[in-house]
Amino acid sequence: MKNKRPLWYYLLPLVSLVLVLVGWLYMAAAKPLLFPSPAETWQRLIKLIEVPLARVPLYQHILISLRRVLGAVTAACVLGVIFGLLVGWSRTFRATLGSIFEILRPIPPIAWIPLITVWLGIGELPKMLIIFIGTFTIVVTNTYTGVAMVDPLTLSVGRVFGASRRQLLMEFVLPAALPAIFAGIRMAIGVGWAIVLAAEMVGASAGVGFLIFRGNELRDMPLIFVCMFIIGSIGALLSAGASWLERRLCPWRP
Amino acid sequence: MSELNERPVKVQVRQLTKKFGDLLVLDNVSFDIRKGEFLCVVGPTGCGKTTFLNLLTRLIEPTSGQLLIDGEPADARRHDLAFVFQESSAFPWLTVEQNIGFGLGIKHVPAAEAKKRVDRILELMGLEAYRKAYPGQLSVSSEQRMVIGRAFAMEPDLLLMDEPYGQMDIKMRFYLEDEVIRLWQQLGTTVVFITHNIEEAVYLAERVLILTNKPASIKEEVAIDLPRPRQVSDPRFIELRRHITEQIKWW
Repeated sequence: MKNKRPLWYYLLPLVSLVLVLVGWLYMAAAKPLLFPSPAETWQRLIKLIEVPLARVPLYQHILISLRRVLGAVTAACVLGVIFGLLVGWSRTFRATLGSIFEILRPIPPIAWIPLITVWLGIGELPKMLIIFIGTFTIVVTNTYTGVAMVDPLTLSVGRVFGASRRQLLMEFVLPAALPAIFAGIRMAIGVGWAIVLAAEMVGASAGVGFLIFRGNELRDMPLIFVCMFIIGSIGALLSAGASWLERRLCPWRP
Repeated sequence: MSELNERPVKVQVRQLTKKFGDLLVLDNVSFDIRKGEFLCVVGPTGCGKTTFLNLLTRLIEPTSGQLLIDGEPADARRHDLAFVFQESSAFPWLTVEQNIGFGLGIKHVPAAEAKKRVDRILELMGLEAYRKAYPGQLSVSSEQRMVIGRAFAMEPDLLLMDEPYGQMDIKMRFYLEDEVIRLWQQLGTTVVFITHNIEEAVYLAERVLILTNKPASIKEEVAIDLPRPRQVSDPRFIELRRHITEQIKWW
Protein backbone atom coordinates (compact mmCIF):
# COMPACT_ATOMS: atom_id res chain seq x y z
CA MET A 1 0.00 0.00 0.00
CA LYS A 2 1.29 3.40 -0.91
CA ASN A 3 1.27 5.90 1.89
CA LYS A 4 1.95 9.00 -0.12
CA ARG A 5 -0.29 11.96 0.46
CA PRO A 6 -0.39 14.91 -1.86
CA LEU A 7 2.18 17.60 -1.13
CA TRP A 8 -0.71 19.92 -0.41
CA TYR A 9 -1.30 18.27 2.98
CA TYR A 10 2.25 19.00 4.06
CA LEU A 11 1.96 22.62 2.98
CA LEU A 12 -1.42 23.35 4.57
CA PRO A 13 -0.20 23.50 8.19
CA LEU A 14 2.58 25.84 7.10
CA VAL A 15 0.11 28.04 5.26
CA SER A 16 -2.15 28.22 8.33
CA LEU A 17 0.80 29.24 10.46
CA VAL A 18 1.77 31.99 8.05
CA LEU A 19 -1.83 33.24 8.06
CA VAL A 20 -1.81 33.48 11.86
CA LEU A 21 1.45 35.41 11.73
CA VAL A 22 0.08 37.78 9.11
CA GLY A 23 -3.04 38.31 11.22
CA TRP A 24 -0.86 39.02 14.24
CA LEU A 25 1.24 41.58 12.35
CA TYR A 26 -1.92 43.24 11.08
CA MET A 27 -3.47 43.47 14.57
CA ALA A 28 -0.18 44.79 16.00
CA ALA A 29 -0.10 47.50 13.35
CA ALA A 30 -3.75 48.44 13.95
CA LYS A 31 -3.75 48.46 17.77
CA PRO A 32 -0.11 48.67 18.91
CA LEU A 33 -1.03 49.32 22.55
CA LEU A 34 -3.30 46.30 22.93
CA PHE A 35 -1.50 43.92 20.63
CA PRO A 36 2.33 43.81 20.79
CA SER A 37 4.08 42.78 17.60
CA PRO A 38 6.07 39.53 17.25
CA ALA A 39 9.28 41.56 17.41
CA GLU A 40 8.24 43.30 20.63
CA THR A 41 7.24 39.97 22.16
CA TRP A 42 10.59 38.46 21.23
CA GLN A 43 12.47 41.40 22.72
CA ARG A 44 10.43 41.15 25.91
CA LEU A 45 11.37 37.46 26.15
CA ILE A 46 15.07 38.29 25.76
CA LYS A 47 14.75 41.00 28.37
CA LEU A 48 12.93 38.65 30.71
CA ILE A 49 15.75 36.14 30.39
CA GLU A 50 18.40 38.80 30.97
CA VAL A 51 16.71 40.83 33.73
CA PRO A 52 15.06 38.84 36.54
CA LEU A 53 11.54 39.95 37.39
CA ALA A 54 10.77 40.24 41.12
CA ARG A 55 14.41 39.23 41.68
CA VAL A 56 13.73 35.75 40.31
CA PRO A 57 15.24 34.65 36.98
CA LEU A 58 12.84 33.30 34.35
CA TYR A 59 13.96 29.68 34.60
CA GLN A 60 13.33 29.85 38.36
CA HIS A 61 9.78 31.06 37.79
CA ILE A 62 9.21 28.09 35.50
CA LEU A 63 10.86 25.60 37.83
CA ILE A 64 8.89 26.84 40.82
CA SER A 65 5.59 26.39 38.96
CA LEU A 66 6.64 23.00 37.64
CA ARG A 67 7.64 21.84 41.09
CA ARG A 68 4.25 22.81 42.47
CA VAL A 69 2.39 21.02 39.69
CA LEU A 70 4.51 17.90 39.58
CA GLY A 71 4.60 17.57 43.36
CA ALA A 72 0.87 17.92 43.71
CA VAL A 73 0.02 15.76 40.66
CA THR A 74 2.38 13.00 41.78
CA ALA A 75 0.71 12.90 45.17
CA ALA A 76 -2.72 13.02 43.50
CA CYS A 77 -1.79 10.13 41.20
CA VAL A 78 -0.41 7.86 43.91
CA LEU A 79 -3.24 8.51 46.36
CA GLY A 80 -5.90 8.81 43.66
CA VAL A 81 -5.09 5.45 42.06
CA ILE A 82 -5.09 3.72 45.45
CA PHE A 83 -8.34 5.44 46.44
CA GLY A 84 -9.98 4.72 43.07
CA LEU A 85 -8.98 1.05 43.17
CA LEU A 86 -10.35 0.64 46.69
CA VAL A 87 -13.60 2.41 45.90
CA GLY A 88 -14.00 0.45 42.67
CA TRP A 89 -13.10 -2.87 44.21
CA SER A 90 -14.60 -2.86 47.69
CA ARG A 91 -18.25 -2.31 48.35
CA THR A 92 -17.50 -1.11 51.88
CA PHE A 93 -15.13 1.58 50.62
CA ARG A 94 -17.60 2.64 47.97
CA ALA A 95 -20.36 3.04 50.54
CA THR A 96 -18.24 5.03 53.02
CA LEU A 97 -15.33 6.98 51.52
CA GLY A 98 -16.91 6.79 48.08
CA SER A 99 -19.98 8.73 49.10
CA ILE A 100 -17.96 11.41 50.89
CA PHE A 101 -15.91 11.78 47.72
CA GLU A 102 -19.05 12.10 45.61
CA ILE A 103 -20.24 14.99 47.80
CA LEU A 104 -16.94 16.91 47.60
CA ARG A 105 -16.15 16.14 43.96
CA PRO A 106 -18.40 18.74 42.28
CA ILE A 107 -16.70 21.64 44.12
CA PRO A 108 -14.20 23.12 41.64
CA PRO A 109 -10.65 23.42 43.05
CA ILE A 110 -10.65 27.18 42.52
CA ALA A 111 -13.56 27.48 44.97
CA TRP A 112 -11.28 26.11 47.67
CA ILE A 113 -8.76 28.95 47.30
CA PRO A 114 -10.30 31.40 49.82
CA LEU A 115 -10.83 28.74 52.44
CA ILE A 116 -7.38 27.25 52.06
CA THR A 117 -5.76 30.68 52.07
CA VAL A 118 -7.49 31.56 55.34
CA TRP A 119 -6.62 28.23 56.90
CA LEU A 120 -3.12 27.65 55.62
CA GLY A 121 -1.85 30.99 54.38
CA ILE A 122 0.00 31.59 51.12
CA GLY A 123 2.98 29.25 51.36
CA GLU A 124 3.87 26.33 49.08
CA LEU A 125 1.63 23.79 50.81
CA PRO A 126 -1.70 25.58 50.26
CA LYS A 127 -0.91 26.10 46.55
CA MET A 128 -0.05 22.45 46.11
CA LEU A 129 -3.13 21.46 48.07
CA ILE A 130 -5.37 23.36 45.65
CA ILE A 131 -3.74 21.61 42.68
CA PHE A 132 -4.00 18.32 44.54
CA ILE A 133 -7.75 18.76 45.11
CA GLY A 134 -8.35 19.46 41.44
CA THR A 135 -6.27 16.56 40.10
CA PHE A 136 -7.03 13.94 42.74
CA THR A 137 -10.72 13.91 41.77
CA ILE A 138 -9.82 13.33 38.12
CA VAL A 139 -7.48 10.44 38.89
CA VAL A 140 -9.98 8.85 41.27
CA THR A 141 -12.89 9.13 38.84
CA ASN A 142 -10.92 7.61 35.97
CA THR A 143 -9.45 4.82 38.09
CA TYR A 144 -12.86 3.98 39.48
CA THR A 145 -14.40 3.91 36.00
CA GLY A 146 -11.53 1.74 34.75
CA VAL A 147 -12.12 -0.76 37.54
CA ALA A 148 -15.88 -0.76 37.00
CA MET A 149 -15.40 -1.49 33.30
CA VAL A 150 -13.10 -4.49 33.71
CA ASP A 151 -14.53 -7.34 31.64
CA PRO A 152 -16.25 -9.83 34.00
CA LEU A 153 -14.74 -12.56 31.83
CA THR A 154 -11.27 -11.44 32.93
CA LEU A 155 -12.30 -11.91 36.55
CA SER A 156 -13.81 -15.32 35.77
CA VAL A 157 -10.52 -16.42 34.20
CA GLY A 158 -8.73 -15.27 37.33
CA ARG A 159 -11.10 -17.13 39.62
CA VAL A 160 -10.83 -20.35 37.65
CA PHE A 161 -7.04 -20.05 37.90
CA GLY A 162 -7.56 -19.96 41.66
CA ALA A 163 -6.40 -16.37 42.17
CA SER A 164 -6.93 -14.85 45.61
CA ARG A 165 -8.86 -11.58 45.94
CA ARG A 166 -5.63 -9.66 46.28
CA GLN A 167 -4.22 -11.36 43.17
CA LEU A 168 -7.43 -10.59 41.29
CA LEU A 169 -7.01 -6.91 42.14
CA MET A 170 -3.29 -6.62 41.44
CA GLU A 171 -2.87 -9.05 38.53
CA PHE A 172 -6.14 -8.61 36.68
CA VAL A 173 -8.07 -5.50 37.69
CA LEU A 174 -5.11 -3.10 37.88
CA PRO A 175 -3.59 -3.87 34.47
CA ALA A 176 -7.04 -4.04 32.85
CA ALA A 177 -7.84 -0.60 34.27
CA LEU A 178 -4.42 0.89 33.46
CA PRO A 179 -5.39 2.54 30.15
CA ALA A 180 -8.28 4.35 31.88
CA ILE A 181 -6.02 5.28 34.79
CA PHE A 182 -3.53 6.78 32.37
CA ALA A 183 -6.17 8.78 30.59
CA GLY A 184 -6.90 10.25 34.02
CA ILE A 185 -3.23 10.96 34.78
CA ARG A 186 -2.77 12.67 31.43
CA MET A 187 -5.81 14.82 32.08
CA ALA A 188 -4.62 15.56 35.63
CA ILE A 189 -1.29 16.88 34.37
CA GLY A 190 -3.07 19.25 32.00
CA VAL A 191 -5.56 20.41 34.60
CA GLY A 192 -2.81 20.71 37.24
CA TRP A 193 -0.92 23.07 34.94
CA ALA A 194 -4.07 25.15 34.59
CA ILE A 195 -4.81 25.29 38.31
CA VAL A 196 -1.27 26.35 39.24
CA LEU A 197 -1.85 29.61 37.39
CA ALA A 198 -4.94 30.34 39.42
CA ALA A 199 -3.22 29.36 42.65
CA GLU A 200 -0.24 31.61 41.85
CA MET A 201 -2.39 34.59 41.05
CA VAL A 202 -3.32 34.72 44.72
CA GLY A 203 -0.41 35.71 46.90
CA ALA A 204 2.61 34.30 45.13
CA SER A 205 6.00 35.92 44.65
CA ALA A 206 7.25 33.60 41.92
CA GLY A 207 5.97 31.24 39.23
CA VAL A 208 4.56 31.68 35.75
CA GLY A 209 1.10 32.42 37.14
CA PHE A 210 2.65 35.21 39.18
CA LEU A 211 4.47 36.49 36.07
CA ILE A 212 1.37 36.74 33.92
CA PHE A 213 -0.52 38.32 36.81
CA ARG A 214 2.28 40.86 37.21
CA GLY A 215 2.09 41.54 33.47
CA ASN A 216 -1.58 42.29 33.92
CA GLU A 217 -0.95 44.65 36.87
CA LEU A 218 1.75 46.54 34.97
CA ARG A 219 -0.28 46.53 31.74
CA ASP A 220 2.86 45.03 30.19
CA MET A 221 1.22 43.44 27.14
CA PRO A 222 4.42 41.95 25.68
CA LEU A 223 5.06 40.24 29.04
CA ILE A 224 1.54 38.75 29.00
CA PHE A 225 2.17 37.43 25.52
CA VAL A 226 5.53 35.95 26.51
CA CYS A 227 3.96 34.26 29.52
CA MET A 228 1.15 32.79 27.42
CA PHE A 229 3.68 31.30 25.02
CA ILE A 230 5.76 29.88 27.85
CA ILE A 231 2.70 28.45 29.60
CA GLY A 232 1.48 26.89 26.36
CA SER A 233 4.86 25.41 25.49
CA ILE A 234 5.31 23.87 28.90
CA GLY A 235 1.76 22.50 28.78
CA ALA A 236 2.59 20.83 25.46
CA LEU A 237 5.84 19.42 26.87
CA LEU A 238 4.02 18.03 29.91
CA SER A 239 1.44 16.40 27.69
CA ALA A 240 4.17 14.84 25.53
CA GLY A 241 5.90 13.59 28.67
CA ALA A 242 2.68 11.96 29.86
CA SER A 243 2.23 10.22 26.51
CA TRP A 244 5.79 8.96 26.66
CA LEU A 245 5.22 7.60 30.15
CA GLU A 246 2.03 5.90 29.03
CA ARG A 247 3.80 4.19 26.12
CA ARG A 248 6.46 2.95 28.51
CA LEU A 249 3.99 1.60 31.06
CA CYS A 250 1.32 0.28 28.67
CA PRO A 251 3.42 -1.14 25.83
CA TRP A 252 0.56 -3.35 24.62
CA ARG A 253 -1.48 -0.34 23.59
CA PRO A 254 -1.31 0.19 19.84
CA MET B 1 -4.18 -44.60 24.90
CA SER B 2 -5.60 -47.38 27.10
CA GLU B 3 -9.25 -48.44 27.05
CA LEU B 4 -11.43 -45.75 28.53
CA ASN B 5 -13.07 -47.97 31.14
CA GLU B 6 -9.75 -49.18 32.51
CA ARG B 7 -8.52 -45.72 33.39
CA PRO B 8 -9.04 -44.44 36.94
CA VAL B 9 -11.90 -42.05 37.64
CA LYS B 10 -10.68 -38.46 37.87
CA VAL B 11 -13.83 -36.42 38.35
CA GLN B 12 -17.08 -37.53 39.98
CA VAL B 13 -20.19 -35.47 39.48
CA ARG B 14 -22.86 -36.51 41.99
CA GLN B 15 -26.53 -35.46 41.89
CA LEU B 16 -25.56 -31.96 40.78
CA THR B 17 -28.58 -29.66 40.94
CA LYS B 18 -28.83 -25.91 40.44
CA LYS B 19 -31.81 -23.68 40.97
CA PHE B 20 -31.95 -19.95 40.38
CA GLY B 21 -34.86 -19.06 42.65
CA ASP B 22 -37.67 -21.31 41.44
CA LEU B 23 -36.04 -21.96 38.09
CA LEU B 24 -34.54 -25.42 37.97
CA VAL B 25 -31.63 -25.28 35.52
CA LEU B 26 -29.72 -28.46 36.22
CA ASP B 27 -31.59 -31.51 37.51
CA ASN B 28 -29.77 -34.25 39.37
CA VAL B 29 -26.86 -34.81 37.03
CA SER B 30 -24.40 -37.60 37.86
CA PHE B 31 -21.52 -38.96 35.82
CA ASP B 32 -17.81 -39.77 36.01
CA ILE B 33 -14.94 -38.46 33.98
CA ARG B 34 -11.94 -40.75 33.69
CA LYS B 35 -8.35 -39.60 33.86
CA GLY B 36 -7.18 -38.27 30.55
CA GLU B 37 -10.63 -38.57 28.99
CA PHE B 38 -11.88 -36.32 26.22
CA LEU B 39 -15.56 -35.82 26.99
CA CYS B 40 -17.89 -33.80 24.80
CA VAL B 41 -21.16 -32.43 26.10
CA VAL B 42 -23.85 -31.53 23.57
CA GLY B 43 -27.08 -29.79 24.36
CA PRO B 44 -29.45 -27.27 22.87
CA THR B 45 -28.82 -23.57 23.27
CA GLY B 46 -30.16 -22.35 26.58
CA CYS B 47 -30.32 -25.82 28.14
CA GLY B 48 -28.05 -24.78 30.98
CA LYS B 49 -24.67 -25.69 29.51
CA THR B 50 -23.03 -22.55 30.78
CA THR B 51 -24.50 -23.05 34.24
CA PHE B 52 -23.22 -26.61 34.07
CA LEU B 53 -19.71 -25.41 33.24
CA ASN B 54 -19.75 -22.64 35.82
CA LEU B 55 -20.61 -25.31 38.39
CA LEU B 56 -17.70 -27.47 37.24
CA THR B 57 -15.28 -24.53 37.53
CA ARG B 58 -16.76 -23.51 40.87
CA LEU B 59 -17.63 -20.05 39.59
CA ILE B 60 -21.05 -20.68 41.09
CA GLU B 61 -22.11 -22.98 43.93
CA PRO B 62 -24.53 -25.87 43.28
CA THR B 63 -27.89 -25.91 45.08
CA SER B 64 -27.17 -29.52 45.96
CA GLY B 65 -24.86 -32.28 44.84
CA GLN B 66 -21.12 -32.57 44.69
CA LEU B 67 -18.18 -32.27 42.38
CA LEU B 68 -15.21 -34.39 43.40
CA ILE B 69 -11.74 -34.34 41.86
CA ASP B 70 -9.62 -37.32 42.90
CA GLY B 71 -12.25 -37.99 45.58
CA GLU B 72 -12.00 -34.51 47.15
CA PRO B 73 -14.45 -31.61 46.73
CA ALA B 74 -13.24 -29.49 43.80
CA ASP B 75 -11.58 -26.21 44.81
CA ALA B 76 -9.96 -23.72 42.45
CA ARG B 77 -7.22 -23.11 45.02
CA ARG B 78 -6.26 -26.74 45.55
CA HIS B 79 -6.94 -28.21 42.15
CA ASP B 80 -5.74 -26.97 38.85
CA LEU B 81 -8.71 -26.03 36.75
CA ALA B 82 -8.55 -24.35 33.39
CA PHE B 83 -11.28 -22.87 31.29
CA VAL B 84 -11.38 -21.78 27.67
CA PHE B 85 -14.26 -19.41 27.11
CA GLN B 86 -16.10 -18.82 23.88
CA GLU B 87 -15.00 -15.22 23.73
CA SER B 88 -11.31 -14.51 23.76
CA SER B 89 -10.06 -14.19 27.30
CA ALA B 90 -6.47 -13.24 26.53
CA PHE B 91 -4.83 -10.69 28.81
CA PRO B 92 -3.97 -7.85 26.43
CA TRP B 93 -1.36 -6.42 28.78
CA LEU B 94 0.81 -9.54 28.74
CA THR B 95 2.93 -10.94 25.93
CA VAL B 96 2.05 -14.30 24.38
CA GLU B 97 4.67 -16.00 26.51
CA GLN B 98 3.48 -14.28 29.71
CA ASN B 99 -0.14 -15.13 28.89
CA ILE B 100 0.69 -18.81 28.53
CA GLY B 101 2.69 -18.84 31.75
CA PHE B 102 0.21 -16.74 33.70
CA GLY B 103 -1.71 -19.49 35.49
CA LEU B 104 1.58 -21.12 36.45
CA GLY B 105 2.60 -17.92 38.22
CA ILE B 106 -0.69 -17.80 40.15
CA LYS B 107 -0.11 -21.40 41.22
CA HIS B 108 3.52 -20.71 42.22
CA VAL B 109 4.96 -23.29 39.84
CA PRO B 110 8.79 -22.98 40.08
CA ALA B 111 10.21 -20.68 37.41
CA ALA B 112 12.34 -23.33 35.69
CA GLU B 113 9.40 -25.73 35.39
CA ALA B 114 7.10 -22.93 34.22
CA LYS B 115 9.55 -21.91 31.52
CA LYS B 116 9.86 -25.50 30.32
CA ARG B 117 6.09 -25.86 30.03
CA VAL B 118 5.64 -22.51 28.31
CA ASP B 119 8.38 -23.35 25.79
CA ARG B 120 6.75 -26.70 25.08
CA ILE B 121 3.34 -25.14 24.50
CA LEU B 122 4.84 -22.43 22.27
CA GLU B 123 6.54 -25.13 20.26
CA LEU B 124 3.47 -27.38 20.06
CA MET B 125 1.33 -24.49 18.89
CA GLY B 126 3.92 -23.01 16.55
CA LEU B 127 3.75 -19.68 18.38
CA GLU B 128 7.50 -19.37 19.09
CA ALA B 129 7.91 -16.49 16.67
CA TYR B 130 5.23 -14.54 18.56
CA ARG B 131 6.65 -15.16 22.02
CA LYS B 132 7.18 -11.45 22.72
CA ALA B 133 4.16 -10.19 20.79
CA TYR B 134 1.03 -8.86 22.48
CA PRO B 135 -2.35 -10.54 21.86
CA GLY B 136 -3.56 -7.43 20.06
CA GLN B 137 -0.95 -8.09 17.40
CA LEU B 138 -2.20 -11.63 16.70
CA SER B 139 -5.06 -12.78 14.49
CA VAL B 140 -8.27 -13.80 16.27
CA SER B 141 -7.58 -17.50 15.71
CA SER B 142 -3.98 -17.25 16.92
CA GLU B 143 -5.22 -15.45 19.99
CA GLN B 144 -7.69 -18.24 20.74
CA ARG B 145 -4.93 -20.82 20.18
CA MET B 146 -2.83 -18.94 22.68
CA VAL B 147 -5.69 -19.05 25.19
CA ILE B 148 -6.04 -22.80 24.60
CA GLY B 149 -2.28 -23.16 25.07
CA ARG B 150 -2.54 -21.20 28.31
CA ALA B 151 -5.15 -23.68 29.57
CA PHE B 152 -3.08 -26.72 28.60
CA ALA B 153 0.08 -25.24 30.14
CA MET B 154 -1.57 -25.53 33.55
CA GLU B 155 -1.56 -29.33 33.06
CA PRO B 156 -4.93 -29.00 34.74
CA ASP B 157 -6.78 -31.69 36.62
CA LEU B 158 -9.75 -30.67 34.54
CA LEU B 159 -9.85 -28.54 31.40
CA LEU B 160 -13.22 -27.10 30.44
CA MET B 161 -13.86 -25.68 27.02
CA ASP B 162 -17.07 -23.80 26.30
CA GLU B 163 -17.68 -23.77 22.55
CA PRO B 164 -14.18 -22.43 22.04
CA TYR B 165 -14.56 -22.49 18.27
CA GLY B 166 -18.03 -20.96 18.17
CA GLN B 167 -16.70 -17.82 16.51
CA MET B 168 -14.42 -19.52 13.98
CA ASP B 169 -15.04 -20.24 10.34
CA ILE B 170 -15.15 -23.88 9.28
CA LYS B 171 -11.58 -24.10 8.04
CA MET B 172 -10.13 -22.61 11.21
CA ARG B 173 -12.40 -24.91 13.16
CA PHE B 174 -11.06 -28.08 11.53
CA TYR B 175 -7.53 -26.86 12.07
CA LEU B 176 -8.07 -26.01 15.73
CA GLU B 177 -9.92 -29.27 16.39
CA ASP B 178 -6.85 -31.19 15.24
CA GLU B 179 -4.70 -28.86 17.30
CA VAL B 180 -6.64 -29.53 20.50
CA ILE B 181 -6.54 -33.29 19.87
CA ARG B 182 -2.79 -33.12 19.39
CA LEU B 183 -2.28 -31.21 22.64
CA TRP B 184 -4.57 -33.59 24.45
CA GLN B 185 -2.75 -36.67 23.13
CA GLN B 186 0.66 -35.20 23.98
CA LEU B 187 -0.22 -34.00 27.47
CA GLY B 188 -2.91 -36.47 28.61
CA THR B 189 -5.15 -33.74 30.01
CA THR B 190 -8.72 -34.50 31.13
CA VAL B 191 -10.98 -32.39 28.92
CA VAL B 192 -14.67 -31.51 29.02
CA PHE B 193 -15.61 -29.84 25.75
CA ILE B 194 -19.02 -28.23 25.31
CA THR B 195 -20.43 -27.75 21.84
CA HIS B 196 -23.69 -27.75 19.98
CA ASN B 197 -22.00 -28.96 16.83
CA ILE B 198 -22.64 -32.72 16.68
CA GLU B 199 -20.02 -33.37 14.04
CA GLU B 200 -17.44 -31.61 16.17
CA ALA B 201 -18.42 -33.73 19.16
CA VAL B 202 -18.13 -37.01 17.24
CA TYR B 203 -14.84 -35.88 15.73
CA LEU B 204 -13.24 -35.01 19.07
CA ALA B 205 -14.74 -37.08 21.84
CA GLU B 206 -14.04 -40.42 23.40
CA ARG B 207 -17.49 -40.16 24.91
CA VAL B 208 -20.40 -37.80 24.22
CA LEU B 209 -22.84 -36.72 26.90
CA ILE B 210 -26.21 -35.63 25.52
CA LEU B 211 -28.08 -33.17 27.71
CA THR B 212 -31.86 -32.71 27.63
CA ASN B 213 -33.63 -29.41 27.32
CA LYS B 214 -34.01 -27.28 30.45
CA PRO B 215 -33.92 -28.40 33.20
CA ALA B 216 -30.84 -30.18 31.91
CA SER B 217 -30.22 -33.79 32.80
CA ILE B 218 -28.28 -36.49 30.99
CA LYS B 219 -30.23 -38.12 28.21
CA GLU B 220 -27.62 -40.53 27.00
CA GLU B 221 -23.92 -41.30 27.02
CA VAL B 222 -22.45 -42.36 23.70
CA ALA B 223 -18.99 -43.92 23.50
CA ILE B 224 -17.10 -42.96 20.37
CA ASP B 225 -14.50 -45.66 19.70
CA LEU B 226 -13.44 -44.60 16.22
CA PRO B 227 -9.71 -44.67 15.46
CA ARG B 228 -7.87 -41.37 14.99
CA PRO B 229 -7.43 -39.41 12.84
CA ARG B 230 -11.15 -39.66 12.24
CA GLN B 231 -12.79 -39.33 8.87
CA VAL B 232 -16.07 -37.47 8.76
CA SER B 233 -17.07 -39.59 5.75
CA ASP B 234 -16.44 -42.92 7.52
CA PRO B 235 -19.80 -44.84 7.59
CA ARG B 236 -19.45 -45.46 11.34
CA PHE B 237 -18.78 -41.76 11.93
CA ILE B 238 -21.94 -40.96 10.01
CA GLU B 239 -23.88 -43.61 11.93
CA LEU B 240 -22.80 -42.15 15.30
CA ARG B 241 -23.56 -38.64 14.18
CA ARG B 242 -27.01 -39.74 13.00
CA HIS B 243 -27.68 -41.51 16.28
CA ILE B 244 -26.83 -38.43 18.35
CA THR B 245 -28.88 -36.26 16.03
CA GLU B 246 -31.83 -38.65 16.52
CA GLN B 247 -31.52 -38.30 20.27
CA ILE B 248 -31.40 -34.58 19.95
CA LYS B 249 -34.55 -34.43 17.88
CA TRP B 250 -36.42 -35.16 21.09
CA TRP B 251 -35.27 -31.90 22.59
